[in-house]
Amino acid sequence: MINLRIDGIPVEVAPGATVLDAALAAGVDVPRLCAHEDLSPSGGCRMCMVEVDGTSGLQPSCTLEARDGMDVATETDPIVAHRKITLDGFVSDHPLDCVTCEKAGACELQKYCYRYDISGTTMGFDLQRTMVQDDNPAFLRDHKYCILCGRCVRVCEEIVGAKAIQFADRGSSTYVATTFDRPLEESTCVFCGSCVEVCPTAALLPKSSIGKGREWELGRQRSVCSYCGVGCRLEYRTRTVTGLNGPRTEIVRAEGFPEAPVNGSFLCSKGRYGWDYAAHPNRLTKPLIRKDLAYEMGLTDEPWDVPDQSPLKAKPAVAREGFVETDWETALSVVADRLARAAETYGPGAVAGLASARCSNEDNYVFQKMMRGAVGTNNVDHCARLCHASTVAGLARAFGSGAMTNSIREIRHADCIFITGSNTSEAHPVIGYEVMRAVRDGASLIVVDPRRIPITEHATLHLQAKSGTDIWIFMAMMRVIRDENLADEEFITQRTEGFPAFAAGLDDITVEEAARQSGVSEDKIRTAARIYAGGIRQEGESRYPEVREAGRGRSTILYAMGITQRSNGTELVLTLANLSMLCGQIGKPSTGVNPLRGQGNVQGACDLGALPNVYPGYQKVDDPAIRSRIADLWSVPADDLDERPGLTVVEMMHSVLDDTVKAMIFMGENPMISDPNGAHVEEALRHVGFLAVADIFLTETAQLAHVVLPATSAMEKVGTFTNTERRVQLGSSVIEPPGEARPDWQFIGEIGRRVAERLGRTSLRWEWDDAAAVMEEIAAVAPIYGGVRHSRAAGDGVNWPCPDLDHPGTPILHVGEFKRGKGAFHAVTPKAPAELPDEEYPFVLSTGRMLYHYHTGTMSRRSEVLDWKQKRGYVEVNTADAEKLGVTDGEPLVIESRRGKIRTAARVGTVVPPGMVFVPFHFREAAANLLTQDENLDPTAKIPELKMCAVRVTNPAVQSA
Amino acid sequence: MAPTTHTELPEELASFIKDWRDRPGNLIMILHRVQQHYGYLPELVADEVCRRTSIAASQLYGVATFYNYFNLSPPGKHRVAVCMGTACYLKGAGALTEELRNHLNVEVNGVTQDKQFSLQEVRCVGCCGLAPVVMVDDEVHGKLGPEGVQALLDKCQEND
Amino acid sequence: MAFTSYCLVCGGIGCEASSADTIYQRICDGVDAAGILDDVQVVKTGCFGFCEQGPIVKVLPDESFYVQVSPDDAESIVTEHLVKGRAVDRLQYREKGSEATPSKAISFYQKQVRIVLRNCGFIDPEDIEEYIARSGYVGLEKALFAMTPDDIISELKASGLRGRGGGGFSTAKKWLFSKQASAHQKYIVCNADEGDPGAYMDRSVLEGDPYSILEAMVIAGYTVGADKGFVYVRAEYPLAIRRLQHAIGQAVDRGLLGENILGSGFSFSVEIRLGAGAFVCGEETALLMSVEGKRGMPVQRPPYPAVKGLWGKPTVINNVETLANIPVILTKGGKWFSKIGSETSRGTKVFALTGKINNSGLIEVPMGITLRDIIFNIGGGIPNGKAFKAVQTGGPSGGMITAEHLDTPIDYETLTELGSMMGSGGMIVMDEDDSMVDVAKFYLGFTVDESCGKCVPCRIGGRKIWKLLDTFAAGNGTLEDLEQIERIGAWMKTSSLCGLGKTAPNPALSSIQHFRSEYLTEETV
Ligand SMILES: Nc1nc2c(c(=O)[nH]1)N[C@H]1C(S)=C(S)[C@@H](COP(=O)(O)OP(=O)(O)OC[C@H]3O[C@@H](n4cnc5c(=O)[nH]c(N)nc54)[C@H](O)[C@@H]3O)O[C@H]1N2
Ligand SMILES: Nc1nc2c(c(=O)[nH]1)N[C@H]1C(S)=C(S)[C@@H](COP(=O)(O)OP(=O)(O)OC[C@H]3O[C@@H](n4cnc5c(=O)[nH]c(N)nc54)[C@H](O)[C@@H]3O)O[C@H]1N2
Ligand SMILES: Cc1cc2nc3c(=O)[nH]c(=O)nc-3n(C[C@H](O)[C@H](O)[C@H](O)COP(=O)(O)O)c2cc1C
Ligand code: SF4
Ligand code: SF4
Ligand code: SF4
Ligand code: SF4
Ligand code: SF4
Ligand code: FES
Ligand code: FES
Ligand SMILES: [Mo]
Repeated sequence: MINLRIDGIPVEVAPGATVLDAALAAGVDVPRLCAHEDLSPSGGCRMCMVEVDGTSGLQPSCTLEARDGMDVATETDPIVAHRKITLDGFVSDHPLDCVTCEKAGACELQKYCYRYDISGTTMGFDLQRTMVQDDNPAFLRDHKYCILCGRCVRVCEEIVGAKAIQFADRGSSTYVATTFDRPLEESTCVFCGSCVEVCPTAALLPKSSIGKGREWELGRQRSVCSYCGVGCRLEYRTRTVTGLNGPRTEIVRAEGFPEAPVNGSFLCSKGRYGWDYAAHPNRLTKPLIRKDLAYEMGLTDEPWDVPDQSPLKAKPAVAREGFVETDWETALSVVADRLARAAETYGPGAVAGLASARCSNEDNYVFQKMMRGAVGTNNVDHCARLCHASTVAGLARAFGSGAMTNSIREIRHADCIFITGSNTSEAHPVIGYEVMRAVRDGASLIVVDPRRIPITEHATLHLQAKSGTDIWIFMAMMRVIRDENLADEEFITQRTEGFPAFAAGLDDITVEEAARQSGVSEDKIRTAARIYAGGIRQEGESRYPEVREAGRGRSTILYAMGITQRSNGTELVLTLANLSMLCGQIGKPSTGVNPLRGQGNVQGACDLGALPNVYPGYQKVDDPAIRSRIADLWSVPADDLDERPGLTVVEMMHSVLDDTVKAMIFMGENPMISDPNGAHVEEALRHVGFLAVADIFLTETAQLAHVVLPATSAMEKVGTFTNTERRVQLGSSVIEPPGEARPDWQFIGEIGRRVAERLGRTSLRWEWDDAAAVMEEIAAVAPIYGGVRHSRAAGDGVNWPCPDLDHPGTPILHVGEFKRGKGAFHAVTPKAPAELPDEEYPFVLSTGRMLYHYHTGTMSRRSEVLDWKQKRGYVEVNTADAEKLGVTDGEPLVIESRRGKIRTAARVGTVVPPGMVFVPFHFREAAANLLTQDENLDPTAKIPELKMCAVRVTNPAVQSA
Repeated sequence: MAPTTHTELPEELASFIKDWRDRPGNLIMILHRVQQHYGYLPELVADEVCRRTSIAASQLYGVATFYNYFNLSPPGKHRVAVCMGTACYLKGAGALTEELRNHLNVEVNGVTQDKQFSLQEVRCVGCCGLAPVVMVDDEVHGKLGPEGVQALLDKCQEND
Repeated sequence: MAFTSYCLVCGGIGCEASSADTIYQRICDGVDAAGILDDVQVVKTGCFGFCEQGPIVKVLPDESFYVQVSPDDAESIVTEHLVKGRAVDRLQYREKGSEATPSKAISFYQKQVRIVLRNCGFIDPEDIEEYIARSGYVGLEKALFAMTPDDIISELKASGLRGRGGGGFSTAKKWLFSKQASAHQKYIVCNADEGDPGAYMDRSVLEGDPYSILEAMVIAGYTVGADKGFVYVRAEYPLAIRRLQHAIGQAVDRGLLGENILGSGFSFSVEIRLGAGAFVCGEETALLMSVEGKRGMPVQRPPYPAVKGLWGKPTVINNVETLANIPVILTKGGKWFSKIGSETSRGTKVFALTGKINNSGLIEVPMGITLRDIIFNIGGGIPNGKAFKAVQTGGPSGGMITAEHLDTPIDYETLTELGSMMGSGGMIVMDEDDSMVDVAKFYLGFTVDESCGKCVPCRIGGRKIWKLLDTFAAGNGTLEDLEQIERIGAWMKTSSLCGLGKTAPNPALSSIQHFRSEYLTEETV
């Protein structure tokens, strides 16, 4: 450690820290305009200059490395004089419009002008930049306020990796530009707003808050982003507006904040701009009853039939006409009545429910309690089935726990990052930032993905394996590692079992065959193996001193749907687990096998038992001891609890058509668009005897429901969300719910109470004062959440397992010992995807995500900025195929599988290789899931193979001609 | 993401870019070659360069605008550059520029209406002994007074 | 095969610009036609330095020095001199109206000591054999086979060589720092950006003796443990680039560059990287950014490039002239070198002597020589009987030195004390007609144009000073304005990020110091 003094205050910092770091550590607020804690130093603003005893003159503290024994003065007369004249210079080229300026109060330039008493320039006012660029709905670029600190340029390159902007020209003409000054939309900008966040002045302003109040008038409410599993914390800035119904809170913008445990100041476009859906006029405000049922109940006198037209095609306004509004009492009674009636008539197994990864832990806990306790069935599942079911199955077998083994912030210190089947920069952008930091620091990055996804631009190696052939690469890598003695023998002997059988299986794998199967050169496969096994960096030294002795750097595996949504998904997950254990790359900081969980609370929904085989805390339903413990806690007879695992998502749909499931309740799921083989889903949902849907919008699924319950969105309720690194974080209520919308846990609890009463299970408790009380019950039921409380989930949150209140939480799993004792190797043999292209359907279709939209689009497509950025769906097609098909960018293509067909615009390029097309599944008008298969599930995890099926691609213009 | 549209490049340029694609610090060398070929850096060609290399377009633009040598618009047929180095300045380069501006009816850094000449000021061409110096294309004309300007321009067009 | 006489045609840029190439062609043709190809060798060399009198042709061994030669004179040089052995009288240079002066006796060359320019004007810069014939690669051979890296550094230390790029930093120290830095990859970079407007020393070396630079870079590589070098040349020097490229090719062919140099097992390769018109790229950290293909924006030091340079790797960056000294130092010894020059500044310095001076041109003089010697003896004084007013050294970073200091022996320290600096070697003489306010404004205009814009004092301060100078140039400046220049100037000097901004106010400040009366008229005082 380095010891020095700042203004006489002794302070200790790590080697490599700057004098500015040391000053801040000592609590000395050295003025700075270009420095930013997350960015490389620039040294351009000259505000942070200090005096160092024994050297002459002033030196910028932000670039000066702290050294032992330094004695630094930060505020002497010469320094003050220097800062005054520097600010004098700044404001000679900057309008001091503070009176009307949007940034006033949060402006760093203003702050220092105040501190050093500068109210104007002595140098003659002479504005060099006057351009105002108002070319997008996200933020305004007003160059006259720009002080050229360069933070925006650096954040865009260093953290985001987008490189959308750069300085142009030079000297006093310098300005921040997009390429050829084109509109931001035509640049590589990903609209993350990070530049706006770090801008010290009013040069970059979020458009949503312009004119909505001064800095000091706006409220602040910290919460958790309601989109993906990264679980960014953010701060909503709000104001109060008074309307017809009295005062209400309005969000004016979202910001990151430095202390946010995962994301710091940074967010992606969805977190930054995607919050306005909550205030969208289409929000559900009252319970709805479908007109045919309403007629039956005498709520309307007009008879009505469900229209034949698919909800995928219906206009939202028209869709509303199929419903009548009702009050909560009526709605809850009818739902409870129908569920109970089905259970009574056909047995509890005739009822099935989907919980939600969009809803809080409390919501999910209550939902599964309602299904298990009140109805008496384990038929509860949720979208995790379509997502990381194979992870849960695979990692549980290999390690004993199916979650990310390490925490997100460890990624930045990894020596090698191995990404496969994860489009990190689009689906988990803030984890992408973490990867960018590591790469900038010299880590190597290996990507195995059939598409040239954005992160490959930063990759050391991109192994562009043909769709479905990645397993060959992983196996061949392990063969290389074994043959070249790169394995960690010590780790294997001490920490694992099953190695001999697994190793023998490698004899059948050759690098030659893997190269032939995957189309990736042998050389690349070998190099990837060596880099991963050795944790070999591109540049620089590892952060971990032990690494230098051990001679093996730290490698971490990140993966997602490209691995899991496969008919052999579980085996693929086991393979990645094998790879990590083979090299001892697990159980240490910055290593591990890290499934990037998708939904904001998919981890939590799984944790809390929204799965057909486990109670909260992954306690098996078929274990009698556990069943009786839960029964005790819920005060029900153990026999009332179903002892067999229930149905999974896809099985539920099949069972409806088999007439074994009669009534359903969905909370926050939109299977009409998200489940495979959409036509089949629609058939099932039209067929089912009763369907209740709780949502925040009248989704395509809700349109088929008998009763629609208006839920509060994440923006309107208190509850906890567990992110992909198992961090339980508290979300807060920011705005008032629209109309009569209620938190899910409340009305699901109400339904539970009513069903339970009907079925005579009256001992069950449903009364909680608030969500915090639900958490208390969760803590009692789920040992891994034993120490979780709302008080602890606020702030930095807590990572489970956290068995009791004194436990600090567990950021890294399997240190010293695997959850299951020894890590288990599993012998796996490569398998091809189930539906391969053939003459009739010659293309491979892959489906997935794009940056700006989220799943079924209910929220992101109702967000102004996100919708502006991507209005319509598309199909990625390779340039060569496009040429053959005779289409150019933007022209329509028809994609047809054995199950359905869609028409959408071609996006021509080289993201997909020839022979492959990719369709994002967010767009109902070109719903990818009309094409996907609901057969050929992974035998263990029952996950459908959403990442590949065979399709035919045609050009409608050519057909008609 | 690299731009997706393609622009055809002349063989020689394409192979130069291919040669340099993976060499670190290639950008400026490639821009020189592009400018050598077109006389300036056409926007579409710049996009194409980015597409064929891993250079970020913003970086290309930042670099192209930072360095005086690179033009983003087509120059005149003949490039007339008045040396504004110290030696030439002291020996009356200012008057020469003035004279050329009048003769050509164009501002510094501009191109004449007929696209025949572009007028520039440059910093020391390394012939200070001959100050003041005007370069026309690659030829140095030293010890030039304002009265010599007309003859110089005439000669230039004669050679066409 | 020995030639009886040599005809050297100056191929420096100045002469080249005045048809030297045609002269050379015609002489070659004439020699061929006269059938004396075996007796006379015609060589186009690098710059002779005496650009004022170009185009120049020199005939050896009799030292005839023909000046202001035109293509039509080629014939008489061949028929009269080369064939018949009679000097062409009317073309001979005459010192002060005297008899024809042979090159050895020309006072322009009298006080010069040629180490850096040892080969310029003597060898064909496109023929490595000629370089080798003049002791080329003796230094490298010695280094590779008879010296350890530490020996080389001691030799440099003994020589007292300091950087000629302007900073004057000890070359031995710089190499030592880089040698001590542990890294798998290190680099050697030659700074041939020569951005000072009014200076062309490095250009002459590159064009007249490119091999010396390559030899020195290999020595540097061997010393610090680098195997890769870059020469960063301004794009405005096409001939230099061509000659350098040619020299690299020849050196590689001769095993003097590339893999396993001279069988020593040491490998070193050199690539050329072009500048693109940015003065600030002469500054070492900006230069490295530029080599990396980025905007040439300087980076705050420390860390210095010797420790963390190109792509973050230890990098020795030396000026062309600095490097040109190295082979000679190794050949003749550091001691020999240290005997030349002044106490603190050893060796010679090349200056580009221009402006209001009779003999403008390129000169190499021992450190410690007085300005008077340079301007009045070598330079032949001020033309047209005008009075000397000031001389600017250090280009836009330097200051003005007035008549009262003409007798100061010049070296790094004395020039700095005078409020100027050594700089890279521009030396611009001004006479009584020149307005110091205009000259200061000219320089500030230059630095404002060339500022990279990264740091505030330079980006904003420079422009403000320039604007104030403009006010003065128009005769409207006040005492307050003058003080404001001084205030802003002090701010720039103490707090700019790089040398450009730190020194940019110098021309203004020194002209205010020495010529205050030109700023303030009686009314404005
Ligand atoms: N913007 C946005 N972000 C999201 C979501 C969203 O809808 N929009 N959803 C969230 C959710 S729930 C989830 S689950 C995550 C999903 O996050 P990801 O899994 O990262 O997203 P996907 O687009 O499904 O595709 C993953 C990658 O798998 C690759 N792939 C396709 N076939 C193969 C193959 O055969 N082998 C391999 N190795 N890879 C293959 C695809 O090219 C793609 O890069 O994203 C979360 N984040
Ligand atoms: N073809 C294809 N299909 C896929 C995938 C794929 O890669 N390809 N990926 C699969 C994956 S990984 C996933 S996770 C699923 C996601 O599938 P879904 O979970 O069905 O998709 P979402 O759009 O997230 O649906 C969530 C619903 O919850 C609503 N909602 C939001 N907040 C709340 C709330 O607080 N309360 C209530 N009650 N409702 C709320 C939203 O409006 C939305 O309608 O899609 C799967 N489907
Ligand atoms: C604005 C500025 C311009 C410079 N220009 C040059 C230059 O053109 N050539 C040069 O060799 N050094 C130049 N330098 C000095 C270099 O930064 C560096 O000190 C030098 O190349 C080191 O080599 P040396 O030790 O051999 O002198 C310049 C410095 C500054 C601040
Ligand atoms: S950007 Fe800051 S200093 Fe400038 S006008 Fe706005 S508040 Fe004032
Ligand atoms: S919004 Fe994000 S991607 Fe766009 S310019 Fe700003 S930092 Fe770069
Ligand atoms: S826009 Fe803001 S962040 Fe970017 S350079 Fe200007 S002041 Fe700095
Ligand atoms: S990365 Fe995920 S959690 Fe973070 S802001 Fe984006 S969508 Fe929200
Ligand atoms: S002093 Fe001038 S040239 Fe140097 S970094 Fe600052 S702005 Fe750029
Ligand atoms: S904060 Fe250090 S120079 Fe700007
Ligand atoms: S100043 Fe004009 S050639 Fe050097
Ligand atoms: Mo998911």
